[in-house]
Amino acid sequence: MNANEHSVTVENLTKKFGDFVAVDNVSFEAHRGEIFGFLGPNGSGKSTTIRILCGLLQPTAGVARVAGIDVAKNPEAVRQHIGYMSQKFSLYNDLRVGENLRFFAGMYSVPPREIPGRIAWALKMAGLQGRENSPTSSLAVGWKQRLALGCAVLHRPPIVFLDEPTSGVDPVSRRQFWDLIHVMVHEGVTVFVTTHYMDEAEYCNRLVLLDRGKIVAMGTPSELTSRHMKGELLLVECEPLGTALEQLQTAPGVLDAAVFGNSIHAVVANAEEAIPGIRDFLLARQVRVARIEQIEPSLEDVFVSLTTVRGSSSPKGVAA
Amino acid sequence: MSWRRIVAMAHKEILQILRDPRSLLVILVIPLVQLFIFGYAVNLDVKHIPLCVYDQDGTQTSQDLLKHFQATEYFNIVSVLDSYKDVVRNIDHGVCSIAVVVPPQFAEDLHSNGQAKVQAILDASDSNSATIGMGYSQAIVQTYSSEIQVDWQQERGISAGAPNITFEPRTWFNEDLESMADLVPGVVAFVMAVVGAFLTSLTIAREWERGTMEQLISTPVGKLEIQIGKLFPYFLIGMADTAICAGIAVWWFDVPFRGSWLVLFGCSMLFLTVVLSLGYFISVTAKSQLGACQMALLATFLPTFLLSGFLFPIDQMPVVVQWITVVLPARYYVSILRNVFLKGSELRLLVGDIAALAAIAVLFVVLATRSFKKRLA
Amino acid sequence: MLKKEFIQTLRDPHTRWLLFGPALIQMFIFGYAATMEIKHVSVAVLDQDNTQESRELVSHFAASRYFHVSKYVARRDEIRDGIDRGDFLIGIEIDSGFAQRLRGGQGASVQVIVDSSNSNTALVALGYLSQVGATFAQNYQVDRIQRLSPQSVLFIPQVTLEERPWFNEGLLSEWYFVPGVLGNLMLILIMNLTAFAVVREREIGTLEQVMVTPIRRWEFIIGKTVPFFLIGCFDAAMLSLVGTFWFGVPLRGHIAVLALGVMVFLLAALGLGLLLSTLAVTQQQSMITAFFFTMPMSTLSGFGSPISSMPPFFQKLSYFNPLRHVVLILRSIFLKGVGLDILWPNMLLMAGFAALMLTVSILRFRKSLE
Repeated sequence: MNANEHSVTVENLTKKFGDFVAVDNVSFEAHRGEIFGFLGPNGSGKSTTIRILCGLLQPTAGVARVAGIDVAKNPEAVRQHIGYMSQKFSLYNDLRVGENLRFFAGMYSVPPREIPGRIAWALKMAGLQGRENSPTSSLAVGWKQRLALGCAVLHRPPIVFLDEPTSGVDPVSRRQFWDLIHVMVHEGVTVFVTTHYMDEAEYCNRLVLLDRGKIVAMGTPSELTSRHMKGELLLVECEPLGTALEQLQTAPGVLDAAVFGNSIHAVVANAEEAIPGIRDFLLARQVRVARIEQIEPSLEDVFVSLTTVRGSSSPKGVAA
Repeated sequence: MSWRRIVAMAHKEILQILRDPRSLLVILVIPLVQLFIFGYAVNLDVKHIPLCVYDQDGTQTSQDLLKHFQATEYFNIVSVLDSYKDVVRNIDHGVCSIAVVVPPQFAEDLHSNGQAKVQAILDASDSNSATIGMGYSQAIVQTYSSEIQVDWQQERGISAGAPNITFEPRTWFNEDLESMADLVPGVVAFVMAVVGAFLTSLTIAREWERGTMEQLISTPVGKLEIQIGKLFPYFLIGMADTAICAGIAVWWFDVPFRGSWLVLFGCSMLFLTVVLSLGYFISVTAKSQLGACQMALLATFLPTFLLSGFLFPIDQMPVVVQWITVVLPARYYVSILRNVFLKGSELRLLVGDIAALAAIAVLFVVLATRSFKKRLA
Repeated sequence: MLKKEFIQTLRDPHTRWLLFGPALIQMFIFGYAATMEIKHVSVAVLDQDNTQESRELVSHFAASRYFHVSKYVARRDEIRDGIDRGDFLIGIEIDSGFAQRLRGGQGASVQVIVDSSNSNTALVALGYLSQVGATFAQNYQVDRIQRLSPQSVLFIPQVTLEERPWFNEGLLSEWYFVPGVLGNLMLILIMNLTAFAVVREREIGTLEQVMVTPIRRWEFIIGKTVPFFLIGCFDAAMLSLVGTFWFGVPLRGHIAVLALGVMVFLLAALGLGLLLSTLAVTQQQSMITAFFFTMPMSTLSGFGSPISSMPPFFQKLSYFNPLRHVVLILRSIFLKGVGLDILWPNMLLMAGFAALMLTVSILRFRKSLE
């Protein structure tokens, strides 16, 4: 079992649709047993990248190698080694749960002797035991996603691509889903995930932040928060929030400000120095300040700041 | 090529077909309905043409003539009129298709200078019936005319006899000239073509529309495996339909069967391959089910109905149109079917048709296979 | 609602073409293909008599525009083979002794072998054959009498039939079929489009979104219907133009009556299509069900085979078929030039059908997901 089989390498990958550049000169590597996350807002090129890696789209330029195979030249060869879960639910609604599983077992050429065992395992993993005969259309979204995951890994591929696997799923189910992913990773599977949920990003071993086709940051979650944050972060609890936000954005020394839940996160060069100044600034403008303190930046902060810094017109984020 | 994958694909397709029992039922019933309609309702034999009579002479002679019209089963005298206006009205309203008008001096003219005319006014908006009706009328008048001549000769003691030419028609293959025997084989082809192309035209388009295609092509299944796996159930349905239709034709409608069953089924398989591949190709190129359906209909319904030679003879069509039928697989299939059912000709006479059908089959299969790509864009 | 439908249908260039292209193409091809006239039917002749009379008979056939003497054969089995292969449709056998019998004043018979696997052609051909034969006999008879007693030749009585075809003097097949093709094409087009109308949204999932809005059932149905109605009208106009200017089918009646007939028919077809759409769950179902209806409707419309030739049961059944009425109306208006005074029963029946279908559609369409 060579390490190559589990890896995904991408060099200078570019994909254009006409004049529109969806993926712009992207390079990275994912290794065995990693949860590799692709983070970014809608339209940033995440799905496009995954589809290229699955051989569903042809790159315009650059090389993508999955399990050591050049995807552009040899898309078919790749498919036996990967599992793919698409963003939109794409299993057969008019089939039953068990029938869907059996079908994909067939598609992945799972040896007949092993099929019942694998299906049982997939059902257990998805928590759908006893429901083989339920029509797929009757499942709630969370269960459907788990079934889709099950269908994607019946053949125990070394690499799994999940495109926004938890969109539209409730938080409890989301956690359970990620538990499943961890189990797989523990067994040595390389999991490649795209998501726009920042909290899920924390689960990943390594992350790539994408914005409009370009990589804006790459590294482990902690690397990102520590290295990429420009400046330090203040938590400002105050009222009224709207006025405060407006004012803070133009306040001297404030690099950036955004609403997070009930409070404002403000980016400043030096926290200790800035706190008194900001308090006075706000009080002078009829804003009641309850609390100002320095906090550790979260990934979301990093991302918002990075995309803002790039001069995009993306809205000041509200916590997802 | 993995047989297991093909089987899995076919299995899924079958499950989906079975889960839609309404469609399945309709598929099996449509051929029956069409067969019965063609068997019982469609009748190209023209008889009992409604006829009106306007006798302006009113003599024994004219009555004599008109009795000839009454005696035949080709015509059905529906009214006797006494004004020209009535004639116009009846034809306009469609009460009668032909009006026979005897001019006022009919008997006199005949006795004095031997030449008399009778008018037949035809509603030619149905030009086919009109043509046939005209033929019948001419025949009747000519018969009457020779009878008059014979009488005339006898009066004068001229023994010129009554030479006439009679035709002894020996109609081959379809002795009673019953249109049903002629049509039923064609109906089989017609139904096969439409049902086959129709059904398969949805299969790929549907997966694209519903989104399941993306998942499917991310698996190692090959495009040929997809094609064979998907088409196989429809192939079975098609053959079942053919068998049912043929069975009903022979045992219910008493259509003769003079050829070999082997040829019938072999050629049906060929034809089905053509039709299913066409449907598949349409399904791949039309991204939506609506588009696929329209294209399938365009390619099969009216072409097979009108151009395959089943209802309208090909050699009577304008040359340009005849050339178009050369690429129409239904044309060859109908010809083969007619042979197998009615003519019972030897195999060597069918070789041309079979070869054409086979060539088209190969072409369409290749077309279908090449058109499908396991990619999104 | 209306706007959305229009935008959706017209935006996709593929669909746009589908709305007009196929109908046009089919109109052209089928106007030409559908023909029941016979011309140049291939005939093979076996003349075993080989006299002047027999050759005279054969030349009568050759001269007729309906027949084309393609081969002179020497043996009977050649005729059999030729018919089997489809080389010719008719084989004429003149036995030796033909002329002798004629000269003796007796009737002579000629054997004709007909490939009647297409019975209609065979019928028509036989009809023409007997006409040619009768003409020959007549001429021969006059000839004989002239020779035997020349003075009486002037008085040989003869009754001839003058043919007066009305509405379609040339007896052109196209004139007969084009209105029928028009009706059929409209039916197929409209039924197809509307059958998809409601079901498509249900299957794709956008229906749910629409149903939550306060739109009322009949508004929804009307919103779906109107664009297709307009498209149908446009298509009908286009096809009528082709019929008139390309095929030369005259338009003798009032355009207004024609328009009325077409519109009522479109409504009827729309109604039926919609009803089927509300009954189906998937697009495939609705398509197949629509097809289940259009096939018999087409066959029983009097388009290819005359209704008067059908058994009474089917004739009565055809009254419920709007296609039958519109084909009659179209033919009558184009060729006969009649007006509403004659056509009103047909119009009424179609309108009744339309009203029934639309009402049932509206009632059946429930604003729920089931």
